[in-house]
Amino acid sequence: MISIRHLSKTFHNPDGSVVNVLKDVNCDIDKGEVISIIGPSGTGKSTLLRALNMLEPPTSGQILFDGQDITAKGYRLDALRRRMGMVFQSFNLFDHMTVIENIIYAPIRLLGISDADARAEAMTLLKKVGMSQKADVYPSSLSGGQKQRVAIARSLAMHPDVILFDEPTSALDPTMVGEVLSVIRQLASEGMTMLIVTHEMRFARDVSTRIFFMNEGIIYEDGSAEQIFEHPVRSATKAFVNRIQKLVYEIGSDEFDQLDMHSGINAFCIKYNIADKAAQAISIADDMIQNHMASVRPLTFRLTYTELTSETALDFMVEGMTESPFAAGKFPDAIRAQAKDIIQEPTTRGFRIKILI
Amino acid sequence: MIAGIILLAISCSCSGNKQKSIELNSEADLSGLTLSTAVGNYYEHKFSKRSDVKVFAAATQADALQAIRQGLADVFVADDIEVPERTLKDLGLKVAFYGEDLFEVAYCVKKGNTELAGQFNTFLASIPVQDIIEHWTKDGPQVPDPNAGQIKNTQPLRCAVCANLDPVCYVGEGGEWMGLTPDLLTRFANYLGRPIEIMLQDLGGALTAVQTGQVDMVGGNIFITEERKTFVDFTDSYYLCHPVFVVADHGKRAHIGIGERFRMNLIKENRWKLITDGFVETIKITVLAILIGTILGMGVCAALRSRRRWVRSAAGLYGSFIQGTPTLVLLLIMFYVVFASSGLSASSVAIITFAFSFASSAGNIFNSSISTVPVGQTEAGLSLGFTPFKTFTGIVLPQALRHGLPLYAGDCVKLLQSTSIVGYIAIQDLTRASDLIRSRTFDALIPLLIITIIYFVLAWLIRKLLNLLLIRK
Repeated sequence: MISIRHLSKTFHNPDGSVVNVLKDVNCDIDKGEVISIIGPSGTGKSTLLRALNMLEPPTSGQILFDGQDITAKGYRLDALRRRMGMVFQSFNLFDHMTVIENIIYAPIRLLGISDADARAEAMTLLKKVGMSQKADVYPSSLSGGQKQRVAIARSLAMHPDVILFDEPTSALDPTMVGEVLSVIRQLASEGMTMLIVTHEMRFARDVSTRIFFMNEGIIYEDGSAEQIFEHPVRSATKAFVNRIQKLVYEIGSDEFDQLDMHSGINAFCIKYNIADKAAQAISIADDMIQNHMASVRPLTFRLTYTELTSETALDFMVEGMTESPFAAGKFPDAIRAQAKDIIQEPTTRGFRIKILI
Repeated sequence: MIAGIILLAISCSCSGNKQKSIELNSEADLSGLTLSTAVGNYYEHKFSKRSDVKVFAAATQADALQAIRQGLADVFVADDIEVPERTLKDLGLKVAFYGEDLFEVAYCVKKGNTELAGQFNTFLASIPVQDIIEHWTKDGPQVPDPNAGQIKNTQPLRCAVCANLDPVCYVGEGGEWMGLTPDLLTRFANYLGRPIEIMLQDLGGALTAVQTGQVDMVGGNIFITEERKTFVDFTDSYYLCHPVFVVADHGKRAHIGIGERFRMNLIKENRWKLITDGFVETIKITVLAILIGTILGMGVCAALRSRRRWVRSAAGLYGSFIQGTPTLVLLLIMFYVVFASSGLSASSVAIITFAFSFASSAGNIFNSSISTVPVGQTEAGLSLGFTPFKTFTGIVLPQALRHGLPLYAGDCVKLLQSTSIVGYIAIQDLTRASDLIRSRTFDALIPLLIITIIYFVLAWLIRKLLNLLLIRK
């Protein structure tokens, strides 16, 4: 359905510097594919998506849509865009229209559908995204997640052949990410062709038929979800999909700022969508630092989160020690009862206790 | 609230007579007194040099006369011909003494226009000037004009008059020009067989207009001076003039009721017609300037949003030039410099000037209103399949309007108010109508009150109308 050939995009900044965001992108996208585009920030994921419907015209290269070159001069972009929906990070609902007016505005004007038919269909779509109660309110009274679901319904109302999702959950409160992702999941199961730029690794792995890992302005690795996440070929891909998010505290003396650590753990858990684990992490960290390992100083405490496996762990590292600070490796029962697993092992730098929660 | 202001104003204008009893016999006796006269005339110039006399320079001669009644000044000075016996009697004033200066009064023509000056001098020698002067100043019998009614269809004689006071030059019943100056000019036009056009201008403006050729002659008790001779030519003098010093005459002031004041200012001599004519003129200039200025403003807005840097800079420069120049100065530049020899009417020049000025501010309002609509709205419209034009008109513009409309309406009202300066280029708008009435009735309150209410209602109407036109929900 879509073929991209040698696509490049160069930005000229006002300060005179030149950035080659896309260098040489090549790929073919077939009908029914659900493709997640992942990769470090600044590698051109969104630019590629925006080039596909010419919101960001490429510097060179070709994009063929059903065999036609849409980058050619004189190509009817409005006709193309009717067949290619787009969902934005910032929703971009029309603030001066109610929810239902947002949805029916384009179909009435561009597809020639009657007002009554457009409304009936809009209600069906709103029901599908769980927003039928809010048909007559203005977007300003909706939460971010609700706005994004309306935006998806608006895009569906044009019956597009493909929908482009540009980081659809990045602007959302962590508590609202789920509702939007489940709507996209549902669309995927119905066979909608979609390209999704996302940072949600678990979601990407679950929903995609194919993953583009973008790096250095090209599609660095392209393969099935299993291939990219379980058996990546290239080292940069491997490093990215297995990356671990960390929060580190060095505890030198008892005057260490405990409250600062509490709020740090809270923020970390919210950021990585594991808010439900924050209270437990704080309680274990406090117990370990103040009671069970009170005599061990200096102590390095790390909270880690592996996105792909969604593994959360508390790490306590004692520099220069080769044995467990606990007699005969016997771990306090109170902690053991709360943990999924406890690993005690010597490392090159010292002794490590890893508590998985 | 309005009623309250009216009552307050009326009660203020009725009180406050604090004239002192003064015995004056010569200019030397003026020491320590306040002297009122019209701004920019010979007397202001002369007495400003005397450190012991305070000069109150009023906008018009009528205002300067009124200053004596209001206690703002002790003595009024003007040309003797400007204050006939009947005016003094009506206002409860009296002549203190006549000055010793003697001036020759004449008409001005463009420097080098000896043909017109010569024709006038020949004409002047052929008429009973003294009888005509007596008619206007001392209610002498009407002097018939043998050439009346012979106007041919030729180029009109365009005249500027720079006095607005009975009997020199004033607006009479039905709005036509009366007084000695217009009378002589009309007789001269009849003598030449040409129609006549008379417009009221201040002296400086009128002398500029005759130099640029916008008018053929200037009159209104203009003295022949050596300085003026360097840039205009004079006709022969038709009158020798002394200064007259006027003071309050106690016990001779008739009290006039408020009903009578309204009658005098509106009904007598059909003066309401001046107001309605001025109203039409003000509306005409305001509405046309808004329409043209709005279209130009869209151009300014497009230029400000242009991709080309030089176009943006040009639009910015235009804006800072317009906004950095007082509208009155701009109007004078347009009338006396840019369009001086174009033959455009003063109204047209005013409309163009206000349209240019409005275009700048409207363009900025449009631009900033569009900027308040996030770029994501445009992207959403485009991505649904609308053309850039339909995205702009259907999605961006309605949101921009909500933001910009109150500002736009405010600017329209500001434009309406600033049209009150068009009197400077001899247009008889609403404000000038009140000046004309005031100079006849010597009553400031009623005419000003009426036009204030009219401006207020107009401003309210503009806002209402724009809301109705542009906001559908």
